[in-house]
Amino acid sequence: MIAYILRRLAQFIPVLLLASLGIWAMIYAVPGSPIGALVGENATPEQIAAITIRLGLDQPILVQYWRWLLAALHGDLGHSIQSREPVLDLIATRIPATLQLGLAATLVGLLVGIPVAVASALKPNSLLDRALSGWSALALGVPTFWLGILLILLFAVHLHWLPSASAYFPLISDPIPALTNLALPALTLGLYISGIFSRFLRAALLGELHADYVRTARSKGLRERDVIGRHVMRNAMLPFVTIVGLSLANFIGGTVITEAVFTYPGLGRLLIQAIGVRDYPLIQGCILFILAIYITINLLVDVLYAYIDPRIDYH
Amino acid sequence: MAVPVVSVRGLEVTFVGAGRPLTAVRGISFDVAAGEVLGIVGESGSGKSVTSLALTGLLGPNARVRGQISLAGIDVIAADAETLRLMRGRDVGMVFQDPATTLNPVFPVGRQITEGQIAHGTLRPERAPARAAALLREVDVPDPAARISQFPHQFSGGMRQRAVIAMAMAGHPRLIIADEPTTALDVTVQAQVLAVLARRQRETKAAVILITHDLGVIAEVADRVAVMYAGRIVETGPVAEIFRAPRHPYTAALLRSLPRIDADEARLSTIPGQPPHLGRLAGGCSFRPRCPLGQARDICASDPPEHDGVACHFPGEALATLPRPAPSKKPEAQTGSPLLEVADLRVEFPIRTGLLRRQSGTVRAVSGVSLSVWPGETLGLVGESGCGKTTTGRAIMGLIRPTSGSIRFAGQEIGGLPRGAMRRLRRDMQYVFQDPYSSLNPIRTAGEIVAEPLRIHGLHAEMGGDAYVAGLFDRVGLPRATMSRFPREFSGGQRQRIGIARALALQPKLLILDEPVAALDVSIQAQIVNLLKDLQRELGLAYIFIAHDLAVVHHIADRVAVMYLGRIVEESDKATLYARPLHPYTRSLLSAVPLPDPAARGGGRRIILEGDIPSPARPPSGCAFHPRCFRASPLCATDVPAFAAHATLPSLVACHHPMEAAP
Repeated sequence: MIAYILRRLAQFIPVLLLASLGIWAMIYAVPGSPIGALVGENATPEQIAAITIRLGLDQPILVQYWRWLLAALHGDLGHSIQSREPVLDLIATRIPATLQLGLAATLVGLLVGIPVAVASALKPNSLLDRALSGWSALALGVPTFWLGILLILLFAVHLHWLPSASAYFPLISDPIPALTNLALPALTLGLYISGIFSRFLRAALLGELHADYVRTARSKGLRERDVIGRHVMRNAMLPFVTIVGLSLANFIGGTVITEAVFTYPGLGRLLIQAIGVRDYPLIQGCILFILAIYITINLLVDVLYAYIDPRIDYH
Repeated sequence: MAVPVVSVRGLEVTFVGAGRPLTAVRGISFDVAAGEVLGIVGESGSGKSVTSLALTGLLGPNARVRGQISLAGIDVIAADAETLRLMRGRDVGMVFQDPATTLNPVFPVGRQITEGQIAHGTLRPERAPARAAALLREVDVPDPAARISQFPHQFSGGMRQRAVIAMAMAGHPRLIIADEPTTALDVTVQAQVLAVLARRQRETKAAVILITHDLGVIAEVADRVAVMYAGRIVETGPVAEIFRAPRHPYTAALLRSLPRIDADEARLSTIPGQPPHLGRLAGGCSFRPRCPLGQARDICASDPPEHDGVACHFPGEALATLPRPAPSKKPEAQTGSPLLEVADLRVEFPIRTGLLRRQSGTVRAVSGVSLSVWPGETLGLVGESGCGKTTTGRAIMGLIRPTSGSIRFAGQEIGGLPRGAMRRLRRDMQYVFQDPYSSLNPIRTAGEIVAEPLRIHGLHAEMGGDAYVAGLFDRVGLPRATMSRFPREFSGGQRQRIGIARALALQPKLLILDEPVAALDVSIQAQIVNLLKDLQRELGLAYIFIAHDLAVVHHIADRVAVMYLGRIVEESDKATLYARPLHPYTRSLLSAVPLPDPAARGGGRRIILEGDIPSPARPPSGCAFHPRCFRASPLCATDVPAFAAHATLPSLVACHHPMEAAP
């Protein structure tokens, strides 16, 4: 197992290298430059030239990449062109916020999705099953930004229970403000993802219900809730954790809209802002971090596989 | 007879669904008393498994059950769900067919054995491990205390089935229902498991319902037999009588279509046609369309026969349809040069582990096989699962690259051939796969499937196009009208005919048949075996017939090679090998085959091998068979025996201590 994890971690390096090269190439393939946003409309050509040289943007692209790479290998991802702050610091402030929201939203998705799936699978094609399927379709169909706005209108504007804009507070040191600020964005994303979770788990449970070991479990005289809750659930979890892992990974970089609705300080919004002003080092840094988190979560999912299913043995 | 443990009267099971309701069980009645073994025998679709599920209340919500079932005093059909749940595990235990899937893969075996008792409140959780170990000990699982915390995939097939038996016995039920309990097991392991089941049954005095398609197993263990056909019991009686003097023509036909290792028949009798589709049963006797007695008799077409021990209008006549088998003719002596010569074939697969994927071991699937096949003859390649027989076949065919060794076909070495030459040679050598359900492309028509090899080799027009393909359909006994149908519209036996027609398309000289009848019902198996024999005679084909079923091989092969752990341990002509086996493994293999003859029961002829087949990744030293061998000496653990000719018999054997040549 340890060897397996080490081997997987070793695969990180070429992936991140290739990705960084790809990101660099893409940045230069799209038109635009960070200079304009930096100097304003009234800059003289001399000013622009001076800044271009200072930022090293006059060098050939490959030279620029090489310089960036050498620095990156020493742990220096450069400075933001816009704010002049180190890229690493900017990202470091956003990662806890993003992780906290992603985990909270996934938790909401599981708390809603699993009971819905189990209730559906216990009596497939029943009235309850159809009603719950309708609920899942609704959760998937409603755009998150719209649901977010509805929730703000209800809980912030009318009821004044929760803030309309969500700031980041660490859950460990400030639990109360952290929860009130997290509640609405986590609910928005969580309800959406619960639609995917419940559909996927229902299908997995129904698939497992026809397996021979289910008949065996019943033939032993187990209660139906133990047949489903223990025997079937554990086997259905295997494909399910894949989906949960993927959606969690997705939340790390892909919650831009929800973050915008709630003005939440996440990694996704930082990236969008960086793209807007062509802040090359920041774009590069954000994408690399999102990628690294994505790969790590996938590795965790694979490790979890071995825990769920004893047949999986990583050598 | 004492009060029966289970009593069934007029049981009817109908499945309702989107289409027409389908009646799978049509009014059956039987009793089983304590200590008695009732064998229910029938082909697929006869309703035997549905019956077992009805007895335990495990049928799905779409099943409508009528009649009476009384199990340990419980009215199963009227009882509520909780009563049935408490009945299962306490009054009735079940053993299912495939031990690979009946256990839950994600829980330790010990926990699964005792969780029924815990659910019934008859076992405290803290005492469960000790109880599980005790139960495993009772079914002869070695080292039970360590085994209980292992997972099903760490058990071999035979050990898993023992665990399932232990599980079924855990609550001391008065009835055990075993549904094809040994069908998925190898023959030597089947013998072990049947012995364990029989011993536990004697010890617990439980009633047993044994459901199987295998008449040999029935003859071996059942006290009484119920033969099912199309949802009915067509004949019941004591096991000896059923086998000696069957009164129903179906029973007689089933017995007749069975290849046997204790008889030598030129040709198997077959039951014509297919088992009936339950949705399209004719009136009268449902066996009439396939029956030799009822064809011309009006009463068989109009009135369903009453069941009084036998459901037939003419019960006295069935025995007359049992033929005296005509002995097969002596095989002609091999002449000329062999068509195929394999010398010292080895196929090895690396095992890679660790951080750098270094090769840490080798699976020796085939380790030094030599064999020859002459034109027009059949070489039977037999052995249990994992012995390398399929890998050998695939390596000869070029589907797997051999690690080393020589394969000569018609005098030409295949090994170093360039691609084009290999393709041309492939025409002469074709393969028929085991599973007729997955080896045919479901989105092609039968005609396209059979024509495909012709198109691949660019010979479709040259060989005669569609007319030629139609001729192939004639040849394998499929109506030409079926050429435009898709595989799902065919039965298993018909699909295998398509597979054979496809293999014949390029007019090969050699067919490699990999378990071609293993997935088929007995009556259909006989049809395919006869077809293969006819084709061989008409076309002069040579066959390599790969199989685990020694009776089928006995029927079809001229010469037989027995494989164990990647090596051929014995090879001889059929008569010599079956009558005077030299290798202890061959001897135990033959003794483990259940004979469809209750009179041969007991008698001490059976050698039950200890243990399981070792992994080809870690074969034992010396003779690979020595840890299980009853004749092994210290020499066997160190020296690999040479594969050499026997002094007096026309056999080759790899053994330091071969059996006496006298039978």
